[in-house]
Amino acid sequence: MFALASVGASSALAADGESIIRDRCLGCHVETGESATPFSRISEQRKTPEGWLMAISRMQQQRGLVITPEEKRTLVKYLADTQGLAPAETRELRYVLEKQPNVTESFEPWLQDTCVRCHSGARIGLQRRTEEDWKWLVHFHMGQQPTAELHAGARDRAWFDIALNQVAPKLGQVYGLNTQEWSDWQAADKQSLSGRWVMSGYLPEKGQFDATVHISELGNDKYSVTMDGQYADGTPLTGKGSGIVYTSYDWRGAVTINGVKMRQVLAASEDGQSLNGRMFKRDDDVLGGQVTAIKGAGITAVSPSYIRQGERKLLTISGNKLNGSVHLGAGVKVVSVVSRDDNRVVVVAEASQRAESGHREVRVGKLSSEMPLAVYDQLARVDITPSDSIARVGGGGGALAKQKSWYRAVGYAAGADGKPGTEDDIRLGYMPASWSLKPFDEIAEHDGDIKYAGTIDDRGIFTPGDAGPNPERKMSTNNVGNLTVTGTVHDGNQVVSGDSHLLVTVQKFVRALID
Amino acid sequence: MKHLKSFNKKAKMLDRTTSQDEVEDVVAMQSMVGCTSVNDPGWEVDPFGGLGSLCQPMEADLYGCADACWWPAQVPDTMSTHPNWSQDVSKADEDWRKLDSVFPEE
Repeated sequence: MFALASVGASSALAADGESIIRDRCLGCHVETGESATPFSRISEQRKTPEGWLMAISRMQQQRGLVITPEEKRTLVKYLADTQGLAPAETRELRYVLEKQPNVTESFEPWLQDTCVRCHSGARIGLQRRTEEDWKWLVHFHMGQQPTAELHAGARDRAWFDIALNQVAPKLGQVYGLNTQEWSDWQAADKQSLSGRWVMSGYLPEKGQFDATVHISELGNDKYSVTMDGQYADGTPLTGKGSGIVYTSYDWRGAVTINGVKMRQVLAASEDGQSLNGRMFKRDDDVLGGQVTAIKGAGITAVSPSYIRQGERKLLTISGNKLNGSVHLGAGVKVVSVVSRDDNRVVVVAEASQRAESGHREVRVGKLSSEMPLAVYDQLARVDITPSDSIARVGGGGGALAKQKSWYRAVGYAAGADGKPGTEDDIRLGYMPASWSLKPFDEIAEHDGDIKYAGTIDDRGIFTPGDAGPNPERKMSTNNVGNLTVTGTVHDGNQVVSGDSHLLVTVQKFVRALID
Repeated sequence: MKHLKSFNKKAKMLDRTTSQDEVEDVVAMQSMVGCTSVNDPGWEVDPFGGLGSLCQPMEADLYGCADACWWPAQVPDTMSTHPNWSQDVSKADEDWRKLDSVFPEE
């Protein structure tokens, strides 16, 4: 997929895309004679660029499709542009494109029991097909993986009949080919992403950062990118790379930042004024975080996002065109401005002892922040995010890398009722924490999981153990483990901990662009 | 259930999985993106949200799963999609280092 973003490709004109289909696909697919759906199967689907790439790759691997890399890039671009998904159709499911780790899904039982046993729900929700095509997909599964109807959850009911005659028609309604969202998006004005942007985000190995991003259009929806900024500890951040826009809003970037190859999966807002998504390491996609970028004036981050009553501390406000005086809300004053430029204002802030607990709007001149500053009496509760997670063993001389996991601590004050864990708790935001592991239950303790399953570092990054049978363990069990991750926050006189569940499990031998 | 006495490990675990918290843990782990919820047994996680009922070590019975495409989104199915995936590794528990993942070509 991402080679698409980094390799210059020829023009993705519609004629090219269509002629590639005619040249390469019509050995099996046929022309229908219908102007709305001219090619069998192909014209009855809409997908993300990753979805189209997976389909074409499957045709290469399993159906004998012969296609050059350049033709493939052109075809993915053509299909994503002409048979893609509208912004509104991907908005809630982008986590799977962004490779967000440890996302827990909740889909309705009819979808869960049929498709989500093996796939993410997002994989289904990011496709649009005619009812007939959804039915062909059921037939495909029966032909390709016939034991699907023998799995638990399938063999105890008429799985094939239900999938074909109940689920496929429902998919045709819920995720049908023709939608208002797609019609609207095709008719909408599209914006170039060229220009000067400011980006803020968080990377687990380096922390909070902000950067100026210059994006220049090269033609055919391809762009060059430079990034110039800094991490919260003052370390400089510089990056250079390229990007490509699919379906007029869906950005895929490949940027090398301080020598590390990174990927960007971002969605442009419909007005072309903001980019939101995730940036992660190309070779270790767990290690990445959410980023946001804006083109116009605005505040993108306030860090830290909390100040205790009576406390004096440095606050950094990041954004674009930060002009004018800084206001931190009732009971919080700006003691001094340490430094400021267009993109970053650092102030010494002080909350009065009597400042009321609660969220404040941060303002710079006429700009206000969507992220509040929390004023609080004392830290009362710490949640660890993600609350449930997996890591996978790897390495140990094997072909597959370890799949890590990482954690952050979110602090809360108790709120007016003085009780943590209730609805009026005040969210303070992410707080620095120290990290430790313990067995999740008696079985994990008995099996010595803590000794074998892996370690966590002071940034909250967990590295699992080596792959392979371990003769030291009972039955040569792998270095799997059932663990509790504990994050402990020291704040003022308070020491508060929170727990998260981590299952260290075995490798996954099928890597998919969309799980 | 209350009239039957569980006698194997898995049944005893099922008996113990009674509190709502535990049920939620099980559900959370099974509905995580990238994990299968085909749990007879599971690949990443067992029906009880833990690891105790998985095939362990995984390599001991790997091909029993791959041949039957039991978790085709986790393990390449050698029945129809990836017939050559393990052709050079006759014993997974000895030569597991040679097993690579499958990934779509660029």
